[in-house]
Amino acid sequence: MLQEHVKNTFFCWKGSLNAFIIILLDSSPVEGVSLLEVSPCLLGFISSVVSSRASESSIISFALKLIGLVAAAEDGFRALQETSVLDLAFDPQHWREEGLWEDPCIRIGWIHGFSTMLQHRQAFSFFVRADSIKPLLQLQTDTSLFVASAASQMLTQVLMFCHPLSSGFNETEVDNKSSSSSITGLKCPNATESDHESAAVVTEILEFLKRRMLPKEPSQLHQSQQILKLLASILSQAGPSLQNKLLLTVGESLEELVASNYSQLTRPLMDVILAGYSSVGGDVKVPDPILSRLLSVMLNQREPPDLIHAAAAFLCSGHDNRIHMEQSAGILLLPVDIITSLTLLEGNFTVKEHQLSMMEQLKNKTSCVSMICISLKYIPKITLMAPDCRPCPPASVVGAVLSLLRLCSGLSPPSVAGCVTVFRNVTGSGKVQKCALEALSALSSSPEVKVMLVEVFTLLIEYLNHPDSDPTVLQKSYQALLKWIGVCSNLSSITNQLKQDLTQVVRKRVCDMRWEVRDSTVEFLGHLAGLPACSTEDGGVCDISQYVLGGCCFTTPLLMEALHDPESYVRASAISALAQAMRNSWRQGAVPTKEQAEIVTQLLEILSQDTEGFARRAVLQFFITWFSSYPSCTSSPLLMQSVRSVLLQGCADLDWEVKVHTLDLAELLMDQAFLGQHGYTKGLESHPAQPHPYAVTAKQAYTLHTHSGTHTLSSDLDGLVKQGLLSVLLSGLFDCDRPVGLKACRLLIRLKDALLLRPQDTTDAGKTDPGLNCELLSQGWAHEIRNVLGMEDRTSGTDAHTVTINVCDLVKCLDLEERLDVLTRSSDHFYNSPRSLLQDILTAGSAHAQQDSQLKEEVIVDCY
Amino acid sequence: MKLYCLSGHPTLPCNVLKFKSTTIMLDCGLDTTSVLNFLPLPLVHSPRLSKLPGWIPKDGTMNLEKRELLDLSTIDVILISNYHCMMALPYITEHTGFTGTVYATEPTLQIGRLLMEELVNFMERVPKAQSATSWKNKDMQRMLPGPLKDAVDVWTWKRCYGMQEVNSALSRVQLVGYSQKVELFGAVQVSPLSSGYSLGSSNWIIQSHHEKVAYVSGSSLLTTHPQPMDQSSLKNSDVLILTGLTQMPTANPDGMLGEFCSNLAMTIRAGGNVLVPCYSSGVIYDLLECLYQFIDSANLGTTPFYFISPVANSSLEFSQIFAEWLCHNKQSKVYLPEPPFPHAELIQTNKLKHYPSIHGDFSSDFRQPCVVFTGHPSLRFGDVVHFMELWGKSGLNTIIFTEPDFSYLDALAPYQPLAMKCVYCPIDTRLNFHQVAKLLKEVQPLHVVCPEQYTQPPMTQSHRSDLMLELQPPPMPYRRCSVLNLPFRRRYERVYILPELAQSLVPTEVKPGVSIATVSAVLHSKDNKHTLQPPPVPPTKKRKRVMEEPPVAPKPLLSGAVPLEAFLATLQKHGITEVKVEETADGHILHLQAEDTLIQLEEDGTHIVCDNNEPLRTTLRDLVLRFLQKL
Repeated sequence: MLQEHVKNTFFCWKGSLNAFIIILLDSSPVEGVSLLEVSPCLLGFISSVVSSRASESSIISFALKLIGLVAAAEDGFRALQETSVLDLAFDPQHWREEGLWEDPCIRIGWIHGFSTMLQHRQAFSFFVRADSIKPLLQLQTDTSLFVASAASQMLTQVLMFCHPLSSGFNETEVDNKSSSSSITGLKCPNATESDHESAAVVTEILEFLKRRMLPKEPSQLHQSQQILKLLASILSQAGPSLQNKLLLTVGESLEELVASNYSQLTRPLMDVILAGYSSVGGDVKVPDPILSRLLSVMLNQREPPDLIHAAAAFLCSGHDNRIHMEQSAGILLLPVDIITSLTLLEGNFTVKEHQLSMMEQLKNKTSCVSMICISLKYIPKITLMAPDCRPCPPASVVGAVLSLLRLCSGLSPPSVAGCVTVFRNVTGSGKVQKCALEALSALSSSPEVKVMLVEVFTLLIEYLNHPDSDPTVLQKSYQALLKWIGVCSNLSSITNQLKQDLTQVVRKRVCDMRWEVRDSTVEFLGHLAGLPACSTEDGGVCDISQYVLGGCCFTTPLLMEALHDPESYVRASAISALAQAMRNSWRQGAVPTKEQAEIVTQLLEILSQDTEGFARRAVLQFFITWFSSYPSCTSSPLLMQSVRSVLLQGCADLDWEVKVHTLDLAELLMDQAFLGQHGYTKGLESHPAQPHPYAVTAKQAYTLHTHSGTHTLSSDLDGLVKQGLLSVLLSGLFDCDRPVGLKACRLLIRLKDALLLRPQDTTDAGKTDPGLNCELLSQGWAHEIRNVLGMEDRTSGTDAHTVTINVCDLVKCLDLEERLDVLTRSSDHFYNSPRSLLQDILTAGSAHAQQDSQLKEEVIVDCY
Repeated sequence: MKLYCLSGHPTLPCNVLKFKSTTIMLDCGLDTTSVLNFLPLPLVHSPRLSKLPGWIPKDGTMNLEKRELLDLSTIDVILISNYHCMMALPYITEHTGFTGTVYATEPTLQIGRLLMEELVNFMERVPKAQSATSWKNKDMQRMLPGPLKDAVDVWTWKRCYGMQEVNSALSRVQLVGYSQKVELFGAVQVSPLSSGYSLGSSNWIIQSHHEKVAYVSGSSLLTTHPQPMDQSSLKNSDVLILTGLTQMPTANPDGMLGEFCSNLAMTIRAGGNVLVPCYSSGVIYDLLECLYQFIDSANLGTTPFYFISPVANSSLEFSQIFAEWLCHNKQSKVYLPEPPFPHAELIQTNKLKHYPSIHGDFSSDFRQPCVVFTGHPSLRFGDVVHFMELWGKSGLNTIIFTEPDFSYLDALAPYQPLAMKCVYCPIDTRLNFHQVAKLLKEVQPLHVVCPEQYTQPPMTQSHRSDLMLELQPPPMPYRRCSVLNLPFRRRYERVYILPELAQSLVPTEVKPGVSIATVSAVLHSKDNKHTLQPPPVPPTKKRKRVMEEPPVAPKPLLSGAVPLEAFLATLQKHGITEVKVEETADGHILHLQAEDTLIQLEEDGTHIVCDNNEPLRTTLRDLVLRFLQKL
């Protein structure tokens, strides 16, 4: 009855079937107890679905996957085979006759079912006897990408499974990779068993690869691509013996394909070759001669765009083949060499052979931009090659990128020898500009490039000044500038004129019409302030922001102006930048200036009045940074005073992130007060659990300067209560946003631990300590607490609206551990269990049973 | 068809088109860059300028050269595209014997008048104590110090016109609306199309029944205040005369506007003043609109903006009343009803104030730091001269050039040394090369005529092949004083037939849908219209003779072609078998070898050459006639 009910209800729950499978897989049976033993009704369900003509395709697909799961265990397999459901379920002809094979959902179910089942010898024999290899090979070029991809994976799996058997399995011949069965979930059968079936399957797959690899007409290119993908996947997993066998079979076809110049096949071909290369490991140092030959052809005899792709793929693979490395580097540098007319490739005659054809390609705008962008992406890698291997010194590469950037912004080329048509293709191209700026950023960490600092600086200032630079280009220019400034420990080559130009351009850009530009500029100021110190021309050490822009006296007024920006992102960035800019003075424990006091006033205003969350969150971060970097927080009345206001406003904010940040600040306060006290643990030590995916994480680790412990815990706590800490924690605990509640709960537990484990608490002290009381109002979270505690018994209220309660009692009574448990489990946890899912299904089923039966199929309920 | 090019300035064109007996002048722009060779005219006595050393000329004689390309009095009409291209109008309509009509749209006329008035006002309110003209003599000029020595065509420089000449010139203007068709002497039809550049700016279509010339001058595809450009009507032109592309092909107007705003905000924040030398109409509307949005975001709400020009008030108000000439967005505001331009709100809230000059109210309202918009962009006359003297010495102040007509370095020359910051943000919304290439691809004119500057990259950027016109067939370049024979032949003319004559015609169908008839008539041509009338009835006294001599039927006209294969088959039927066929350029020659006869079959004639064999000739003739139709 239940089984029938479950089956019927499944029809209404097709949206949840995949989830059910996942849950079944997750709740894998206890060792030795199979799925069938746990749920014997599955067998009946499966056979009724498979044999019923009325089953819907999604249900059948589900059943096929379920069969795979059940049959993965040998006893499950036997049980299914006894009912002859296996033959029917995995016979494509059966589904074709039912007219269901056309539905990709059936095909994918068939593949997944088979693939899960192929865990043991019997299943494999069934696979071979049913001659399932043929439909599987057909599915490899299926019209549905998912089906094709799943079929490829399964073919690889089958081949890995068969090959050791067919090659006359013996210990020495085990391929290192194919024996890593844990990846595919395969368990190798008895090693001594020689199997002709396996050999036949291997041969059939290899022949199939060979036969289908070459496209006879352009419409078959897709098929070739699929075959090459499969081949790459096999090669990357195969050991030397299978690889040799494979290459012997398909080598000729591969060579023919490489020579055929189909540009769509360049990448898959390179994947195949590189997969073959990668699998050369262990004692075998030399790659297969076929692979080497193929690689040489790919890097030498193809059309320029394909050459670039091939070279990029090779360089990316990290193979240590000097000749091919040089060749790839040369090819990647060639477009830039041609456009900038700088002799990057002097003497590299093999690459220069492609100059004319490359030049022709560069005249076409689309291929020009695409080739240059690929080239720029990999250029930084070239500069990191061994000095005797790279085609030119890294500084020349930087020079070439700079020339290219100049051309992009319409400035004169470095040499008139370049082709005017090609200039036209890059002039004003935002895409090339962005790629080149990214390359320039990456090149900052290359060796021997520091000499180019002034040139880079000059160009980037030009870019920042250019009226037509779009916001992304400007942002990338700033990033590049920061990178270069950051890696150069000595900035003495930057002339005063350059510094002045930079100051001017920054001053202009903070007034830009586009908020994105203002935002990037303000961010730049912040990042610059955050950079470590640099050495100056007189050998001294100087703050970089100070050296380049004149420091706070330049930066702070600009940032203060940005606090009034109409765009909240800019305001938020300005606040973060101010924190960065002031961090150094905080670290040194400097007394806050009048200007800083003014900033604090403005920030508190933003916290209480700004309509956008970003700005308010940034204010919290500002105070967190200040608090964590200031050596002696309590000695700064301004800081402690503002922290109190921040806590008060922060916990009343509507934005949950602001509230979490407020709790972060509260945590810092607690750490500062209690660290070193008996029983108190710092956040991460007590709760190493992984953070919630939506939780806000601090951008940097805060180090707290703790005071020398002359205070007692009670006086510390008293101070904290006065700061409003307890209100923050308690209001957070009852917050409707889970991350807030979780954080507050954890903090309260730590507070409780600290309070209860302190030495004086071992006696009866504490309860009457007047410093450990707090007041509860009758509204909001306080009201909740009153409800939880049943206030009549425990309070000594002075009036009906405000009651005073002992903190220790309070934290003890709140049952924080239970609350933490509930909060940690998350909403998903409860609803995601198989039990609850089954309950939901049954409930929905019974609800529908009462309605018109015709409507039943129409109702699709998503349990998430 | 000829084109006389009187101006070599690509954005201030002046061309004359002779087309079907009409002489049409296309625009008359005034290149005023020569004022840069003069000292500024200060509104307030400037000790610095007055103390500059004078130059004492040696004796010489006046000898003004006359070089006229054509007699301006023969011009029938002048078509004006926009108010910037009409500033030379008084020089052409006055004192040249010009008797024609000037066509322009209403905003063009009104704002053109404002600009002329402003110019005259600027000149006349600073009367010069003395003036000299002898230096225009070539021999004298040679002795002048550079760069005056090297200035070209000094003899063509003229004194500024006066208000009377302006009024007289403008009285000849006849107003037209977009797409309105104006007949010129029955020969051609001219029609203005929206060009999207400024209020009332137009391109022109000049067409006869069978020919179409498009004149494109100062057009824009950007969404600024004017009505968008009408591109589709430019299609299928035989010749497209292309002028008035952007003068700043490398300066993108949006980028420049951004520069303008950020530099302005930067200066004000630092406590300085901003001076914007500009024309009193045009881009200033867009600048004010842009600032309207920018003021609040840049916290400039309290900064006063001043617009000083003798025509400031009229310019701001005119812009609000020409609703039908505005872009769709602005037009729809009028129905709300709201003023189309937001500068009305700026004026209402006292953020923008306008004054006719620095004298009077302005001096009492003046508050710094502020932003001042004033003319003239050349910095040689107008109120701007005073602000240059006032603010030039402080590095806090900034001058932002937005007009592209003058070199800002030359404009600043007499004010050096200058501490004031200079920013050059030329905003030119006219078509750039990329846009024009796209436009031409779409409208596909048969031939394009353009200033020679557009056919090569700019001198300083020879690698920028994207900054020139590349067309197939290549455009016909012109320079100053060029006379171009426009490359199209007029092949057809429209002729009307009177109904009574038409009734008498007897058409014969030569092929389905095509009928022809012979016509005997008298062709009357009057006002460039051609009419066929029935031939005059012969005098009655000859009636007797008519009776005597029966009318001779006219020889039938033959039409059609002789198909070679069918003709050969027919010949064979008639026993002529030995035929040698030779292909020629115009048709075929058939050699009847046995008869020693030649038959020449050509497109427009057939000849039978046979010696004294009349029966054969007649037979052959009849065979040929079988394939032809008689009319």
